[in-house]
Amino acid sequence: MRQVFVAAMVVACVGSHPLTAQPQGVQPSARRVFPFPYETVVLENGFRAYLIKAGAPGQVAYVSIVRTGSRDEVEPGKSGFAHFFEHMMFRGTEKYPNYDAETTKMGAFRNASTWADQTAYYLVANTEYLEKIMDIESDRFMNLKYAEPDFRTEAGAILGEYQQGAREPQRWLNEKVREAAFEKHTYRHTTIGFEADVRAMPQAYEYSKSFYQRFYRPENVVLVVAGDFDIPKAKALVTKYYAGWTPGYKPPPIEPEPAQTAPRERTVKYPGRTLPIVAINYKAPAWDAKNRTGVALEVLGQVAFGPNSALYRKLVLQERRVQSLFPSFGLSRDPYLVSVQTMISNPADVEAVEAEVTAAVKTFQETLVDPKQLADTKSAIKYGFLMSMETAQDVAFAVMPTIVNTGKLEPIEEYFRSLDAVTPEDVREAARKYLIDSGRTTITMVQEG
Amino acid sequence: MRAMTAIGIAAALVFGAAQEPAKAGPYVADERIIALPEAESPFVAFNIWVKSGSASDPKGKEGLASLTASLISGGSTREDSLEQILEKLYPMAAGYGASVDREMTNVTGRVHRDNLDAFYALFRNALLSPAFTEADFNRLKAQRMNFLERARRYSRDEELSKDLLFWMAYQGTPYQHPAEGYVDSVRSITLDDVRGFYRDHYVRNNVVVAVGGGYPGGFPERVRKDLDTLPQGTVREIAAPAPKPPAGTKILLVEKATDASPISFGYPIALLRDDPDFVPLLVANSYLGEHRNSVGRLYQAIRETRGMNYGNYSYIEAFPGGYATQQPRVNVARRSQLFEIWIRPISQTAPGNLHDRTLFATRAALFELDRLADGGMTPEAVAASKEFLRNYVGTWGATISRRLGYAVDDAFYGIPAPGFLQSLKAAIDKVTPAQVNAAIKKHLHSDTMYMVIVTADAAALKQKILSNQATPITYAGERKAALLEEDKAIAALPFKVKEADITILGIDKVFQ
Repeated sequence: MRQVFVAAMVVACVGSHPLTAQPQGVQPSARRVFPFPYETVVLENGFRAYLIKAGAPGQVAYVSIVRTGSRDEVEPGKSGFAHFFEHMMFRGTEKYPNYDAETTKMGAFRNASTWADQTAYYLVANTEYLEKIMDIESDRFMNLKYAEPDFRTEAGAILGEYQQGAREPQRWLNEKVREAAFEKHTYRHTTIGFEADVRAMPQAYEYSKSFYQRFYRPENVVLVVAGDFDIPKAKALVTKYYAGWTPGYKPPPIEPEPAQTAPRERTVKYPGRTLPIVAINYKAPAWDAKNRTGVALEVLGQVAFGPNSALYRKLVLQERRVQSLFPSFGLSRDPYLVSVQTMISNPADVEAVEAEVTAAVKTFQETLVDPKQLADTKSAIKYGFLMSMETAQDVAFAVMPTIVNTGKLEPIEEYFRSLDAVTPEDVREAARKYLIDSGRTTITMVQEG
Repeated sequence: MRAMTAIGIAAALVFGAAQEPAKAGPYVADERIIALPEAESPFVAFNIWVKSGSASDPKGKEGLASLTASLISGGSTREDSLEQILEKLYPMAAGYGASVDREMTNVTGRVHRDNLDAFYALFRNALLSPAFTEADFNRLKAQRMNFLERARRYSRDEELSKDLLFWMAYQGTPYQHPAEGYVDSVRSITLDDVRGFYRDHYVRNNVVVAVGGGYPGGFPERVRKDLDTLPQGTVREIAAPAPKPPAGTKILLVEKATDASPISFGYPIALLRDDPDFVPLLVANSYLGEHRNSVGRLYQAIRETRGMNYGNYSYIEAFPGGYATQQPRVNVARRSQLFEIWIRPISQTAPGNLHDRTLFATRAALFELDRLADGGMTPEAVAASKEFLRNYVGTWGATISRRLGYAVDDAFYGIPAPGFLQSLKAAIDKVTPAQVNAAIKKHLHSDTMYMVIVTADAAALKQKILSNQATPITYAGERKAALLEEDKAIAALPFKVKEADITILGIDKVFQ
């Protein structure tokens, strides 16, 4: 639905959650960051499931993560298809022709979302329904069936979804940033897709079936069940319902983005009223728990442009020259962008504000970050995650970025070891290595007229 | 923005020596303290309810309650500059914010219990000793003006149409203006106005303390004691609005260059949570249009079967910001409510004549409403809706902050322990088809209403509505004969509206 790259901000404090059941599997310990006990199930067909015991009396969150999103839309004219397909997954099977009716009976909270790197399907329901959910969910992942008229009808709903947010300034800007920063890689288009492709969707019935065949396979899907349930029983259910799924995932040939060699700058017009927004983007590496400079880059985003940064104090609070300033430095499965975005109060001040941002970048390339600020930022990242995990669904969502990027939950621990090890020199190195002019794409969005 | 400001999103750690937690138990709701102890929880949530909202804005200063709250939650205190506050919050994944609705202001916060003391000092100071500096005021007012002049008019047409529906229905009452105010009224607000609103409304007899989660014993009492250092005051009573349904249908068309048209319509209903008809009508409304769910008739008819848009829902309580949340909002409790239908944007560029799809979708919603209002629900439909709803409401209180929000709303409505949300499942189970159909008969109709449509070429839409010509739609694929028959009836459904009752407003004049 939205295409936002979420930082893998993951951790929590050991021992802060009361643990009652102690199943086999991974237990919280002084050396582990993820605070909940869990078990991993790996089936012969490549399917993985993480079963996490996490609070929420009487409820479970059931999250199926398909490691396919708009990133996988390699064919011309098919942008937006991963998201469209997400909608088709609610159209039923032979065994359960009416998915909505089945889940409605449970009073389940259910939805799905598609992003650049994943499509996630989720339900929250009473634990008593766990087996029923597993039956229904595994069934639609293996035996989805829909007729062409239904397919065409759903395409109309997608156009509605496209249009309901098409003129939001952020959507408009995001489209332009991607188009300017990428030439080859599929990150060039947004998850909702190009409008012309959305309008052509009703004709793609046959293609939709091949999409399902290629991507909805056990090697490409990871299940996370979080909540209050019996883990050994759930393990058996995973085998019962998913072991019969035939493997056959075919990774799409995603063209890597060629190295950018010169800065790109564009001014785009917004068809409405807005103050100028400047988005300064830099090419960034793929998410890798072991790449300490990459992890240091995420730290740098907060240190340099977050609410406790010198630049924020100057531009937002003291001089009030901008209405907002924020970093988006989360990394993705493939090399994407890190960005700083600011909304400028006085249109005549745009260039000067841009210069302030690049001057801040230069400062971090030349000087070492204050050790206290570094320590505070590490703790902000870590405990930001802890604060985010209140409900079972929160817990499942919190591990999603790591699973999307790697196919596994376990690298969370590696990531936090890297974070702990980040030094002021690493942060400086991240600024020198990644926040370089030749990798920069600056988009200034102003209103028409 | 929705009258919400927040500062500090970061993280707290330092695992301090935990104090003895308060025991879990039923919450205590009295005039002054609401406590929801959940000893197992690592979090503590706050909700300070100031019993004044935008309905208390002085005439000409609409938006004052909201701007005051944003200074509380996003400004300096006499103890700390905003820079210092942000620096202290930064290493705690904690922050606080404020929301303002017609009748209530809620200053809320959440923290890991290990950091409770450090956080609480900042939170308390925000409420008790706001500095109200010129710098904070100028910054936050400039942000608010930008929202009013640009973002509100140009980001989400569907949210705008909903706000305008309430504006139409509550003309001449304190509920008329949106909490964020108007362009001109906010422009006229001074820092002295803000200080005055704080002085008059943030008084100890107008403030209720709500605290939940894993706090130490005696903590809510400590918060209450601190807030009792606020002076006593006399807060002017606001009479509850009692709007009447319009005579006939009144339509507001907002002229705007747009590719898709959202539609909102509705009318006042005399029904609050403590009314015996409330739960029966909740069941009926779930059947008609459960928010962001595919179970409702409106969704099925307009999106699922006809593929016309992204979703279609109905409401018996205010539900601002519905595009951003799947669960009901808390702390938008009101003494007067509308019945409301929300049709998400209908494409103006899909095949067919301009406006035909917009009017077809509007007619389809009226058709479904009519069918329910006239025919009621079968016992089977009631049973199915109850079965869904009795479980679904269990997901509405997922976090401590939400449970606390519901508890505050209970205090507003005078609902005794164990409270609305906790009693809802049992209340749904008890509802009979006769009660549901009686509530439908009493409260729902499709005859008279307020309606808002945001559209390109509003003049042409006005003419098309007045002409009452049929507005058929076409499909990309083959359809069953029964559906096409029904389409014919829907496309020709008459609008009973007079020319004088259709108003056109340019987007740049909206909420001026």
